[in-house]
Amino acid sequence: MIALLGYLGVLLGLVSASTLAYTGVRAVRRGGRVDESVRWSVTGLALGAIVAFAALELGVLTHDFSIAYIARNTATTTPFVFLLASGWAALEGSIVLWGLMLAGFTWVLAGKVRGDDRLGVGALAVMGAVAVFWFGMMASVANPFAICTEVIGGTCSATSWFPIGNAVAPLEGLGPNPLLQNHILMAIHPPMLYLGYVGFTVPFAFAISALAQGVQGKAWLVRTHRWSLIAWLFLTAGIILGGWWSYEVLGWGGYWAWDPVENAAFLPWLIGTAFIHSAIVQERRGMLQAWNFVLVIATFALTILGTFLTRSGVIASVHSFSQSLVGPALLAFLVVVLVSSLALFAARIHLVASSPRLDSVVSREGFFLVNNLILTLFAFTVLLGTLYPLIIDALSGREVSIGRPFFDKVTIPLAFALLLAVGVGSIAPWRVAKPQILWQRTRGGVATGLAAAAFAVVVGVSSIPVLGVIALAGFVIGTIVGFFLRQAGARRAAGAGLREASWTVFRNDLGYWGGQISHIGLALLAVAIATSSALAVRGQLQLAVGDSGVVGGYCVRYDGTFQEVTPNRIVDGSTMTLLRDDCSTFVAELAPRVNRYRGASQAIASPAVHTGIVEDVYLSIAGGSSETIALDVFVFPLQWLVWVAGGIMILGGFVALGRKLRRRDTLPATPPEPEESRV
Amino acid sequence: MSERTRNLIVGAVSVAALVVIVAGLAGRSGPTDPTPQERAYQLEIRLKCPFCVGESLADSQSGVARDLRVLIERRIAEGATDQEIIDEFVANYGESILLDPGGKRWGIALWALPVLLGAVGVYAVVRLRRPAGVPVDSEAGSR
Repeated sequence: MIALLGYLGVLLGLVSASTLAYTGVRAVRRGGRVDESVRWSVTGLALGAIVAFAALELGVLTHDFSIAYIARNTATTTPFVFLLASGWAALEGSIVLWGLMLAGFTWVLAGKVRGDDRLGVGALAVMGAVAVFWFGMMASVANPFAICTEVIGGTCSATSWFPIGNAVAPLEGLGPNPLLQNHILMAIHPPMLYLGYVGFTVPFAFAISALAQGVQGKAWLVRTHRWSLIAWLFLTAGIILGGWWSYEVLGWGGYWAWDPVENAAFLPWLIGTAFIHSAIVQERRGMLQAWNFVLVIATFALTILGTFLTRSGVIASVHSFSQSLVGPALLAFLVVVLVSSLALFAARIHLVASSPRLDSVVSREGFFLVNNLILTLFAFTVLLGTLYPLIIDALSGREVSIGRPFFDKVTIPLAFALLLAVGVGSIAPWRVAKPQILWQRTRGGVATGLAAAAFAVVVGVSSIPVLGVIALAGFVIGTIVGFFLRQAGARRAAGAGLREASWTVFRNDLGYWGGQISHIGLALLAVAIATSSALAVRGQLQLAVGDSGVVGGYCVRYDGTFQEVTPNRIVDGSTMTLLRDDCSTFVAELAPRVNRYRGASQAIASPAVHTGIVEDVYLSIAGGSSETIALDVFVFPLQWLVWVAGGIMILGGFVALGRKLRRRDTLPATPPEPEESRV
Repeated sequence: MSERTRNLIVGAVSVAALVVIVAGLAGRSGPTDPTPQERAYQLEIRLKCPFCVGESLADSQSGVARDLRVLIERRIAEGATDQEIIDEFVANYGESILLDPGGKRWGIALWALPVLLGAVGVYAVVRLRRPAGVPVDSEAGSR
C-alpha cells in the first residue's frame, strides 16, 4: 500500500516534470506569460516529490519490509535518527531526496516568475527537463518502491519493480551500512551536499534559458546570484561536515584523503566558487560573458559527475556504496547535458563573445581573472588526478594509482598562489591599480603577515612551509582588516562614532564584506590545514591495563575496558586517562571504542578526541590482544580551527546574501572593441 | 598620521619580525634527521594499501596495511634506505603501488597537462588585456 502510494507519487512527479518542460517551452514561445498549465505542473511536481518522500519515510519508520529498499537498508533495531536518515542514506532513497529538493527549488523559483518573464519561464522549463531525468530514474533503475516477492533465508531474494502484487516481507531488515549509523553527522552531511548540488541546477537553468532565447546581458546572472550563493553555502557546509564526520568516525586520524568521492564534491565547489567570482566581474564590468556560461555549465556537469562517481562504483573508493544501472544512466545524462549545453553555447557564441577588455592585470578584475585561472587549474588538476587511473586503464590496460602525494604536490603551490591573489585582489581598485595605492592598502597586511610568522617562530614552529602559510594568511587577514579600518576611519573623520562608522561601512556593502569574511575564513583554514598536517605527531602505543606511554607531549594511561550492548551494536571501549608528559597532570578521560554492528562483519573503530586550545589529541584503537591494546595516538595542532574556519567561510556567505543587487551598470563601461574582443 | 609615518611603522614592524624569524630559526639546530616513525609515515603515505579501496598504507586500518606498516618499520630498523624500501614494494606489487607515478612514462601527461592548461590560461588573461598605452604607441609611431 505504502509502496504503491509512493510509486504513484513518483509517477505524478515524472508526468508533471514532463508537462513543465513542455508548457514552459510553450509559454516562452507565446511571449513568456506564466500560464495556469505551468503553475499546475510545478504544483504536481512538488506534490509528487512530497508524496514519494513521505511514503518512503513512512515505510521506513513503520518497518515496512515488504519494500525491498527498506528491507535492505534498515532494521527494527536501528535508532530513530538513523532510521529517519535511512530514508535517504542509500542509493534509491538519496535520489528521492534529490527529487524532493529539486522540486522544492523549482517551487520557490516558480514563485518568483510572474507576468511576462521569458527568461524565468524558460528556466522553469529547464528545471522540468532536469526533473524528468531524476524522476525517470526513480520510476525505473532506481525505484525505491520495488516490492519484495520472495523471501529466502530471511532476506528479500526477489523483487517486483512495479509495486502491485503479492508482497512478502522478511521479519527483519539488514540494517544500514555500519559507517552510516555511527555518527549523527551522517544524517546531516549528505543532505547538505545534495542541497548544494541541486542548488546549482537553478543558475544552470537560467543560463540555458538565456542562451536558448538569445537573451543578452547579465539578467540571468543577477537573478541567479542568490541561488548560486545558497548552493555554494550548502556545498561548503556539506564538504566541511563530511570532513568532520571522517575525522570523528573513521579513526584514521584525518579528514581529507583526496579520495575520488571527496574530489567529486570538491570539483563543483571549486568551479562554483570561480563562477561566483567571475559573475561579479560581469555584473560590474560586463566582462567574461562567455566564460560565465562555461563555468555554470561546468559546475552543473560536475555535480552530475560527482553523483556518477559516488554511485556507480567506477572508481574504487571507500564512499562508493553501491553499484547498479544508475551509473550508466547518470553517465548518459552527463553526456546529454554536456553535449546539448555546449552545442547551444557554440550556436550562441556570437551573442556573448564581445566584452570589454581588461585595462590592466593589476586591478580588481585582473585579480578576479587570476583567481578564476587558479581555481580552474586547481579543478582541472584534481579532475585529471581523479580520472587518470581510469584513462590510463582504458588507453593501455595498465594500473596506475593516484593519491595524496600527487594531489599535495600540485595543490599546495596553487593554494599559496590563491592566498596571495586573495590578499591583493580583495583590495585592488577596479580598472587600474596604481602601485602606490596597492602599497598603501597592503602594507598593513605585510607587517601583520611577518609579525604572525615571527610569533609562530617564537612559539616553536620551525617548518618553513608552515611559516609561509602563516605569513600569507596574516597578510590576507591584515590587509582585509586594515582596509576595513581605513574606511571606517574615513567615516570617523567625517564625525561618526567608531561603532556607527564601522557598521555603516559594513552595511553599505554586505556583498563585499561577506566575501571578505569568507576570505578570512579561507586564510584561517589554510593555517589550520598546514599546522594540523605538517606539525602532526603520530605514534602507536602497546599498552596493558595500568600501563602508560608517552607520545607528542602527552602521556596516555590505559585504565580498563568496558562493553555496551545495545539492540543495534556491541561497543567494546577502553577507558584511557590523558595526562601531560610528566604522567601526573590530568588532562582528560577518553574512551576510544570499537563498534560491531548487527549483521556486519566489519568492526568500526570510533576514535576519542580531546580538543584543547592548541591541539587535538586523537586516540583510536588499532588492534590488540587479550592482554594489551594497540592504540594509535595522534596530536593535531590547531585541528579545531579547521572546523571554525569553515564556519567563518559559511558565515561570510550568509552575510553576502544580504547584498543589494546592481541591476544597472554602475560603472562607466569602457567602449567595446568588438572587432578584436574574444573570450 | 602621515604616509611617511605609516611606512616607517610598517617598515619597523617588518624588520623586527624578520629579525625574530631569522634569529629564531638560526638559533635552532638545523633540520634533525627524521625519527624512524616519521620516516615510516612518509613512506606509508606514498604507498597504496594493496587489496584496499583507494587508501594509502598510512590511512588504512586493514590488517594487510597494519602488517605492511610493521614491515616498513622493520626494514628501516634494518638500515634500508627509503628508496630501497619503495623499490621492494614496486618489485612485489607493481608500479600501481605508488600513489604518485612521478615523471616516468604515464606520469608525464599527468604533470604536463595542468602546466599546459596553466600556460594557456595565463596567455588568455594577457590577451584579454587592453594593449597598454595604445594611443601613446601610435603617437610615437607617427612621430
